[in-house]
Amino acid sequence: MELVINDLTKEFEEVKAVNHVTCTLGNGVYGLLGVNGAGKTTLMRTLCTLLSPTSGSILWDGQDIFQMDGQYRKILGYLPQEFGFYPDFTVEDYLMYVSSIKGLRPAVAKRRVKELLHQVGLSGAAGQKMKRLSGGMKRRAGIAQAMLNNPKVLILDEPTAGLDPGERVRFRNLISELSEDRLVLLSTHIVSDVEYIANELLLMAAGELRYSGTPSQVIASMPQKVWKLRVSRQEVENYLHRYQISNLKAEADGVELRILADQRPHPLAAQAEATLEDVFLYYFGSQVFMQEEEGDCSHRLAGKWGRGK
Amino acid sequence: MIRFEIKKIFCRKSGKVVLLALAVLLAVSCYMPIHDTRYVNEQGETERGLGAARKLREAKKEWSGLVTEEQVKRVLRENRRINQTAEARSEEVKKQDIAYSWKQGFSDIREMINSAFGDFQEYDYFKADSVTETEVGDFYSNRPAKLKEWLETDQMARGEFSEEEKAYLLRQYEKLETPFYYEDSDGWQHLFEWAPTVIMITVLILGFLTAGIFSSEFQLKSDAIFFSSYYGRDKAVRSKIAAGLLTVTAIYWTMLLLYTAVVLGALGAGGADCPVQSAGMSSWKIFYNITFLEEYLLVTAGGYVGCLFMILVTMLVSTKTRSAVAAVMVPFLLIFLPAFLSGVVTNRVLGLLPDRLLQINLALHYFNVYRLGSRVIPAIPILFVTYGVAAAILIPMLYHSYRKAKVW
Ligand SMILES: Nc1ncnc2c1ncn2[C@@H]1O[C@H](COP(=O)(O)OP(=O)(O)O)[C@@H](O)[C@H]1O
Ligand SMILES: [Mg+2]
Repeated sequence: MELVINDLTKEFEEVKAVNHVTCTLGNGVYGLLGVNGAGKTTLMRTLCTLLSPTSGSILWDGQDIFQMDGQYRKILGYLPQEFGFYPDFTVEDYLMYVSSIKGLRPAVAKRRVKELLHQVGLSGAAGQKMKRLSGGMKRRAGIAQAMLNNPKVLILDEPTAGLDPGERVRFRNLISELSEDRLVLLSTHIVSDVEYIANELLLMAAGELRYSGTPSQVIASMPQKVWKLRVSRQEVENYLHRYQISNLKAEADGVELRILADQRPHPLAAQAEATLEDVFLYYFGSQVFMQEEEGDCSHRLAGKWGRGK
Repeated sequence: MIRFEIKKIFCRKSGKVVLLALAVLLAVSCYMPIHDTRYVNEQGETERGLGAARKLREAKKEWSGLVTEEQVKRVLRENRRINQTAEARSEEVKKQDIAYSWKQGFSDIREMINSAFGDFQEYDYFKADSVTETEVGDFYSNRPAKLKEWLETDQMARGEFSEEEKAYLLRQYEKLETPFYYEDSDGWQHLFEWAPTVIMITVLILGFLTAGIFSSEFQLKSDAIFFSSYYGRDKAVRSKIAAGLLTVTAIYWTMLLLYTAVVLGALGAGGADCPVQSAGMSSWKIFYNITFLEEYLLVTAGGYVGCLFMILVTMLVSTKTRSAVAAVMVPFLLIFLPAFLSGVVTNRVLGLLPDRLLQINLALHYFNVYRLGSRVIPAIPILFVTYGVAAAILIPMLYHSYRKAKVW
């Protein structure tokens, strides 16, 4: 069972939101990484048949998903970036309704809803109105909704955005728990979200798929080396001009920089092991961090200071 | 699935407000016709409400029966006798009211006499006072005669109708079976008088209720999950349409049947089989040969067809514009725009606009006839067929429009 994306392009008037994307996805967790505007949402909406492609095709087990129509949607679960629901429905009603449009028989639906409510930790809130839920609870209801039909293809668009760090960790765990025996495509612009749970990363920028591979392949794909160097505050400006800096950490006696460079930038610089974040900076430049809403402080600092590629 | 769709409509706060509004509308519209019923008692005082209705019914009872020449003469004699009393000749309003109170029993037949002998276009309230018994033989034959005269001499009428249409109207007039049976039908009269108000406001409220069925998915952003679900592009769409139609049907008929039950229960349902021409005043001129019961069926069924049509347009606009605000305007425009169009477009066009379906009892009074090939057909059947068919076509249009929606 595989999802084949074949030279897929989606244009909006001027913008090529998805630009000749080709890839094949099987079971496993795929992390779709890219800054805001990279085209992740557009790609996912097309995979959910909500948008028709300008050109190219998407095949599930060799069949065009648009021609499969309901048969494809039957195996699909989707949590949109903007999760919309019926505010006056209770959580249980909401899930029962989605079950019905997903074609679950009422008896089956009842069991499944109960199961999922338990799994996402919302059993206690089953009778609450959707609009009364906290942000994290809504997101969990969103995941439960996507899982109702036990989908073979689960598409989650930025499922961790807007969650506080604790919620985010719990959410990641939930996703890895749910990811057995299916294809999970998960988009984010936050590296740490997918670093541990994704088997494979898809790096998207300006509508194009720039690189794909396992996290270690992605790391290995970077031709530059990573160096750690402690400098004084006055020198920071100078380094920011000359190098790509993936991180800078303020310390009592100066600033520790992570520098991407072919050559040792300074005799005192020590080579460090490359992380995904370094690779990201390499592929996407400073934008990654500029866009990040709630990374740790050091990231934001780097964003502010980081030099473009 | 339909159950949840209906729940979506009513679980919003606005859904509950709407139910309250319907209850208020029903209460007011039941009160008005009953309150409107007046009876002037022997002391010349005006009474209103249930008691008045009962007394009026009692007074009219003795005049029910076939409206034969003999009966018309009886009315004329009684009318003359009362006119000669001191009370009728008095300058005092109170005294005149007392005289009027004696005339209430035959007031309907008196009105028919006014119409039968008065000018075709101008209703003359006092005409009966000057009609002599020798003229009575013309009571029924005057009706087609005056129509003929009007069609031939009146400037407007001559320009408006073709020969075939004139012939059709005359034929209809002549087809009315005479002498006809008269019985007090005030319950029906009052029912009809307020029916358009009840129907129109019900349609407006239903528009409010249904405007969001299709657009809300987009506005709530629940569209992505809806359309990517298994049934999202077929059965779930059909259940939305079904929910809309069920809501409209249930609420429309509940309103109308409760309204009917209360008004007829309070004012009486007598006269159901009398011809509509017996209602007095301008009813005399109606060219549709139907009874009050048939008029009732036309009024309610017409209202329902019009309501379905308007609500389906509302739902289609809701789908196309993805905006409930745009959709909610549709019934308002369809109902109120024609009032502003009179003078701009011809009566012929006005006669075929959908708002007429919501006020069939008024539409009956218009001389709107149309030529279709070699046949002449009156407005009301055309309205039923046109908007019935339009509603039937709108359903698949709505379905296809919604199921193809893109989510961006
Ligand atoms: N409905 C639309 N109409 C026009 N342009 C759009 C539309 N949706 C997205 N875009 C554009 O397509 C590009 C990709 O957007 P999107 O897929 O939302 O990216 P991401 O999810 O990675 O942030 C952006 O430049 C965005 O402005
Ligand atoms: Mg997005």
